Amino acid sequence: MALFTRTTKNLILKIDEFFDNIELGLLIFREGIKSYVAGDMESFHRHLAKVDSLESSADKLQREIENDMITNSILPQHRVEVSQLIEELDEIIDAIKSTLYEFEIEIPEIPQEIHHDIISVAEASASAAEELIPAARAFFKMPHTVREKLLKVYYFESETDKVAYNTKKKIFHEMNKIDLPHKAHLRYIIHHIENISDLAQKAADLLAGMAIKIVM
Amino acid sequence: MILFFLTSGLFLGWSLGANDASNVFGSAVGSKMVTFRKAAIIASVFVILGAVIQGAGASHTLGKLGAVNAIGGSFTLALAAAISVYVMTKFSLPVSTTQAIVGAIIGWNIFTGNPTDGKILSKIVMTWITGPILGALFAILLFILVNRFKRAAGIHLIRFESYVRTGLIIVGAFGSYSLGANNIANVMGVFAPAFRLNDLDLGLFTINSNQQLFLLGGLAIAVGILTYSKKVMDTIGGNIVELTSEAAMVVVLAQSLVLFIFSSSALSDFFIRLGLPPIPMVPVSSSQVVVGCVIGIGLYKGVRNINFKLLTEIGVGWISTPVMSGLLAFFTLFFMKNIFNIDVGHKITESGSTVNQIVASGTEMSEIMKFLLLGICIAGAILLVYYYLLERKKAREFRKSEEKFWKNLK
Repeated sequence: MALFTRTTKNLILKIDEFFDNIELGLLIFREGIKSYVAGDMESFHRHLAKVDSLESSADKLQREIENDMITNSILPQHRVEVSQLIEELDEIIDAIKSTLYEFEIEIPEIPQEIHHDIISVAEASASAAEELIPAARAFFKMPHTVREKLLKVYYFESETDKVAYNTKKKIFHEMNKIDLPHKAHLRYIIHHIENISDLAQKAADLLAGMAIKIVM
Repeated sequence: MILFFLTSGLFLGWSLGANDASNVFGSAVGSKMVTFRKAAIIASVFVILGAVIQGAGASHTLGKLGAVNAIGGSFTLALAAAISVYVMTKFSLPVSTTQAIVGAIIGWNIFTGNPTDGKILSKIVMTWITGPILGALFAILLFILVNRFKRAAGIHLIRFESYVRTGLIIVGAFGSYSLGANNIANVMGVFAPAFRLNDLDLGLFTINSNQQLFLLGGLAIAVGILTYSKKVMDTIGGNIVELTSEAAMVVVLAQSLVLFIFSSSALSDFFIRLGLPPIPMVPVSSSQVVVGCVIGIGLYKGVRNINFKLLTEIGVGWISTPVMSGLLAFFTLFFMKNIFNIDVGHKITESGSTVNQIVASGTEMSEIMKFLLLGICIAGAILLVYYYLLERKKAREFRKSEEKFWKNLK
């Protein structure tokens, strides 16, 4: 019995650590984008390295959580959904890492006029994902509060869409000084930043269903 | 010869284990909270303990319904009941052994010309109604309590599930004990009046004739659990209504309480001391009680969740079992008496004494029992060590493969 209690405790700690990784990754993502836009490449690379390490740690934790749940037959009725949730959250940190790597590889030139817009898209997108974490934590402790917490995710996802739409419109309609390939490149970069909030929404949909199932 | 006559009882015990153990651990195994192997081992051990320690009460009541006074009769009744239960189990229906044996006893009463005690019969049939109702009420109350506690305490889901799992094992053990105590009467009750063995002195305690009989019955139930109960467990666990882990625990606890109430002489005496009517010591149908508990939860959660088609099938089984068992007993007794010329019992005289009662006894049987007990202890210890080593080996291999995976990834 003592062994089982320790397994339970370890699993709870691993899940919490996994959530911490995602939250930290989102904070660093924001800072990374700000650094890049500001032209502070040293800081940007430091943030990129940190995100890389967090993503590796999240992958390892994800595998350990799934293994623990299967080998110790923990949460048999919710195991599939919990694993899926962890998988969705892992995709968010994967998207953060790949977006920052795209900045590093492609070195997109961000015109001064849209510095603020790009940061706003990143802020809104990261906020949508950030609001997901308290809801995911609540699933394990107070599942009846999950749905109200998810409202913020949907709000920030829609905000991201709006800001991204306005920024893209501004690029293609108002910024005549830059050429079309540059415009397309910027659109592509914005699309990737926006993708984080879309992934958050996908995870939120899953979490909402899980919460209903457990509360009913 | 004694052992030959007991075979039908042992077969009935096996059928009970195969079928009724699912009532105790079915919801736990069905909800995947407890593995079948673990459930089967716990249920086997505690069923035997319940049968030997507390099996006398309900057996006494069954003896009053029809005191089968020839071992050939006991053999035939147990056989008829066992066949009925086996047939129903074959169709994966959680059938009641109580109804099968009651049907068979009534068949014996009719065949031998003995009157069936209406009071005793109504007492037994009443529990067929009150058992599931009581089970449903207990289940609803316990379910509300558990859910309120869960919500108020704000325990982490994983920790809560670990408590529930521990709870399931504890109440499952209690349920198995109650099942053994209550339902051993169905298996060995008909043999008790026609069976006398020497007391078995084991140093620390003595096992009397009935307890030796119940031990054999308990072993047969354990074999039934280990070999054939998995299929019925799946039916109970997931088919009537989908159960959450805490609901599974509530079902087992509610059912165990009902079975315990109807087999605890101490509780009945306590009621009498309080000036309340005594609780009848009656073998209750654990199948009916567990279905009552599951329905209780289903009703509380909303009627939409209940699989009514399966419930109807179970209901049909409840009516057909005693009828089938009674008819089978009647015709088998006829063949046994007239074709094989075996004494299957006689009409009981008005004074209550029996005519030509055949009493089976023997010191040889006691010796067999002694060796049987020793064998069980040794086999149990070997199995325990084997199980432990197997688990350790599995854990070590898994750890190695994980280490290799991360090493290769680097």
